Amino acid sequence: MANKKDNQENKVVNPTTEVTSEKQTKTTTRKTTSTSATKKSGTTSSTKTSTSSASKKSSAVSSSTKKATSTSTKKSSSTSAKAAKSKTSERVEANEETKLVAEQTVETTNAPESIVDVSNVEAAEVEVPAADMESVVEKASLEVPTTPMGLSEQPLPMAEKAKKEPVDPMKDDGFWAKCKHGLSVAGNACVNAGKTVWRWTKRTFMGASKELTDDEKFRVENIESPAKQMVKTFMRRRVAIVALVVLILMFALVFIGPLFVPMDVNYTDALQQNIAPNYSMRKVPNALKNDIKSISGFSNFTVGVSNSGGLYIWGDTKLRVQGINLADFPEEITGDNVAFAAAGKDHIVAITTDGKVVCWGNSTNGQLGDKTGTGILSMPEELKNGTIDVNNVRQVVCGYQASAIVMKDGTIYVWGNTNTVTNMSYFVGKQDVAKVAFTNSTLVAVLEDGTFTAGNSNSFTSVVSSKGTVTGKLNTYLQGKKVVDVAATNYSIALVLDDGELVLSGAFSDDIDLIPELPEGETFVKVVGGTRHFVVLSSANKAYGWGHNFYGQSGFSGVENVSDIYAGSLQTYLVGDKDNLTNSYGLKGYLMGTDSMGRDIFTRIIHGGKMTMTVGAVAVIVSSIIAIIVGCVSGYFGGWVDMLLMRITEICSAIPFLPFAMMLSLVIRNYNVSETMRIVIIMIMLGLLSWPSLARMIRGQVLAEREKEFVIAAKAMGIKESRIAFKHILPNVISVILVSMTLDFAGCMLTESSLSYLGFGVQQPQPTWGNMLNGANNSIVIQNYWWQWLFPALFLAIATISINIIGDTLRDVMDPKSTQDK
Amino acid sequence: MAKYILKRILYILLVFIILSFLVFSIYNMIPNDKAAAAAREEIKNNNKLNYEERYLYWQRRYGLDGNLIQRYLRWLGLYPFYDGSYQGMLQGYLGTSITQGRPVSEVIAEPMQNTIFINIFATILALGITIPLGIFCAVKRGSKRDLAVQVGTIVGYSTPVFIIAILFIWLFSVVLGIFPVSGMGTPGADYTGFRWFIDRMYYLALPLIVMTFCSLGGMTRYVRASMIEALSLDCIRTARAKGVKEQVVIYSHAWRNALIPIVTLVIGWFLSIFSGSIMIENIFGLNGVGKVYYDALNNNDNEVVLALQMFYIFIALAGNLVIDLAYGFIDPRIRISK
Repeated sequence: MANKKDNQENKVVNPTTEVTSEKQTKTTTRKTTSTSATKKSGTTSSTKTSTSSASKKSSAVSSSTKKATSTSTKKSSSTSAKAAKSKTSERVEANEETKLVAEQTVETTNAPESIVDVSNVEAAEVEVPAADMESVVEKASLEVPTTPMGLSEQPLPMAEKAKKEPVDPMKDDGFWAKCKHGLSVAGNACVNAGKTVWRWTKRTFMGASKELTDDEKFRVENIESPAKQMVKTFMRRRVAIVALVVLILMFALVFIGPLFVPMDVNYTDALQQNIAPNYSMRKVPNALKNDIKSISGFSNFTVGVSNSGGLYIWGDTKLRVQGINLADFPEEITGDNVAFAAAGKDHIVAITTDGKVVCWGNSTNGQLGDKTGTGILSMPEELKNGTIDVNNVRQVVCGYQASAIVMKDGTIYVWGNTNTVTNMSYFVGKQDVAKVAFTNSTLVAVLEDGTFTAGNSNSFTSVVSSKGTVTGKLNTYLQGKKVVDVAATNYSIALVLDDGELVLSGAFSDDIDLIPELPEGETFVKVVGGTRHFVVLSSANKAYGWGHNFYGQSGFSGVENVSDIYAGSLQTYLVGDKDNLTNSYGLKGYLMGTDSMGRDIFTRIIHGGKMTMTVGAVAVIVSSIIAIIVGCVSGYFGGWVDMLLMRITEICSAIPFLPFAMMLSLVIRNYNVSETMRIVIIMIMLGLLSWPSLARMIRGQVLAEREKEFVIAAKAMGIKESRIAFKHILPNVISVILVSMTLDFAGCMLTESSLSYLGFGVQQPQPTWGNMLNGANNSIVIQNYWWQWLFPALFLAIATISINIIGDTLRDVMDPKSTQDK
Repeated sequence: MAKYILKRILYILLVFIILSFLVFSIYNMIPNDKAAAAAREEIKNNNKLNYEERYLYWQRRYGLDGNLIQRYLRWLGLYPFYDGSYQGMLQGYLGTSITQGRPVSEVIAEPMQNTIFINIFATILALGITIPLGIFCAVKRGSKRDLAVQVGTIVGYSTPVFIIAILFIWLFSVVLGIFPVSGMGTPGADYTGFRWFIDRMYYLALPLIVMTFCSLGGMTRYVRASMIEALSLDCIRTARAKGVKEQVVIYSHAWRNALIPIVTLVIGWFLSIFSGSIMIENIFGLNGVGKVYYDALNNNDNEVVLALQMFYIFIALAGNLVIDLAYGFIDPRIRISK
């Protein structure tokens, strides 16, 4: 009743009073909220102290308001404060009680500790969001539910006025003003929404409102907000802190890492398969560094021969399935008797100084020359049983399970797997070969008369020349020209002509057809090839590289004082004039090895983690939104709504998760959706299937909160039901939701991994931690390639364990009962 | 009690109908026309036939004519085929597997036995370990041993089944060589009787160990939590005040009160391992329902998928029913309130 009067008075008097009335209403809300919040904190922490201090504070606030405004305002504000506190919410009695409270207020004003500067309070009031203002005006107008209709309607115009006030100055004529108006309304809505979210979060973690936690302002005794207490307790748990740090590091690795470690999703490399974690793939042994005779590499290991006859090997030398270590040299190699050596995909060929050809490595496909059969070309008898003249050997080359020896007289010996190198038999018995090179599937040669031949292979017809654009086929272009050097990558070849021209042919990828332009006067002299890049030596003893440069193996140009060049598969070695290693470029190794497709596992773990965590997070968000809406509505409204929603929840929770998700995945597979779309569908699917448990939990919490006093108070004030459910009750449940979301995040990550592991989630080649383990499902991989399953499993397990530990600790910390127990 | 049971059964029936309709609709979203395939096959062999005619024939034969509701009812066995016969789930007919050419019920009969055997065995093992462990942890709450078990269980329930399976295969089969990596019996061996049983148990040992280990984490925590709850009840304080032996307090007074949530857990867990065993069966190559389901999904053997999906839903709902009934049985309060 008093309230009504005040409002009428305000209307009548003058603008200044109107402002104060606004202020008054603000104060009122703050008090109602603060009181309810204090109650919450009281239950969680020291009940007595906080409640008493809160009452002191609220009275302090009201007293200061009194100073600033008229007596009538003071009356009304204290009335509402009282109303908010009263359990029975009998507003009719408020009138009598008003006096009492007013007296109290006056008393407390005299107390020294509550004397406050008015400006302080005003500053604090700025904090109150605009959204509250509206609600406050409403509250103020509907404060007395028992009053007759006519009376209660009177304050409404004032409320409308308060709403319109910020708009008024813009009431210009025309379209522009309307636009402005619309914009400002939309902007206000956004700002209000943002402020509301912030307020909830703040209330959860930092206590009720600013005045409550700000001790200096009111100089009341020290109280600890529940959030502070929570943080303190959390910090005391050492395991939780470790888990938090680990998780943050993992997040950083997974979300910042991809910026630094790029990944080509479709990259595969047959020659880099199943390489163990090591960093020695470019590490030329010290004994060889200043005494290099030759270096040769075709896949993940490289061999070098020193001038003194020593043989050296570096890289990943183990053939795990066969149980062979290539670094265990056969007994024929004594340490100072090697003249030539070459490395293939999984075997090594060496010629000793006394002319014995020694092969070792994987023998299954005849690459050692000791087998016969279909698809196998065995080693010529004279090499098998006898020796060859070492001084007459021009070149030893190995390819994909195939080898060739070229003599200075033009004789060539070839053996190996003809299923991989298909045109090998063409060269058997040739007497006029000058130089050969292996691509992945062919043997190419330069004959002594300077012509180029690829045998019966027809994969080399395209032409790219260093002298500009060329049309026509390779054979026609080379007619009448003399080839002096040949080198090959996996799919292309490079030829150096006697006039210093460079010609490329074959299939081009990784920009391998972009031949570097030499400075005026320089010509090409020698070329060597890795698996995806070429290196040339120019007439000015400079080295140039081009082609695949992901590992930096061709990232140099015009390196001077180079007398010889060698290429491993993804490495380049430049040798100076004293047979010393001047520079090496390219792949050093893999931190976590490679998988069965030759892809770097570390890179895939980083990118896969991003995918796994994103899928988990989105799924949790989707499921939480559904759960919050269902739980809140069902818990707050009860009755048939609750009945219906809970039945739906029960039906959803009865769906067996994994089989159902697999079946949905099958349905998706039958429609031709893109990979991204597929991932999005999987995220939403996971979210849609995992909300029931959280919804039930929220419902239970809401049911408990619904019976508390502040809800009754809010109801008594006539606040809309939906507003009570989502604005008053939900913030109090948010701690439960947060804990549950944390635990569900881990759960969703696990589900995604399980689905992907079975092949029904995110599909290869897009990595996730789950589908990276997909290949580990057999004993060969488990036994031999431990790094392929250990690292993804480790990352996944550590991530989920940390999340679960954090979630568990949060739950313990937020539950006052459990902290009491311990 | 009878009214309560009846109510629950009716309710579960309703849910089953809703869920089965949902699954059937999803299944119908798979673009797969059996009748068209059969008709085309026929036309290929005999050019004189009319495609439309044969298509209609096969559609009627397979029961694919009519709208979704009709087809659903037909699948349930409540709506006749074109020739007037009823061939649906209620008649025990679950469809035909296209990859094996046999009725689905025949295809899943043996795997079903295996799966049920494995799951029951794993449940018994898991309960035998987790319940004493949980009680121990609850009684010795806060001790170092409890803490160690707590950390262990977090690791246990945060690590997915397949990682534990891979680790165990690596440890027990590859490094130690105790158990075989996969399979259900020695290949080529033709054992009978007890010898056969021993051989099978030898092959099933590792999967069972993995399943038990995976369940340790979650269940131990649950038993511990409900036991702690029960130990803080007033009746326990009274019992102790009366001077009842600690043994009796724990195992008779507290344990009975803790049992209520644990029953839910045990049944729920028993059901979840049915779908969870999809993973185990695939990793260890066991001939179980999960493997059949996985293979059927990969081979687009849709009728097997549908039948097994219904099996999983049936199991889940039956479990819910059992939980409800068990609740009513154990906790008289629920009977009265409902």
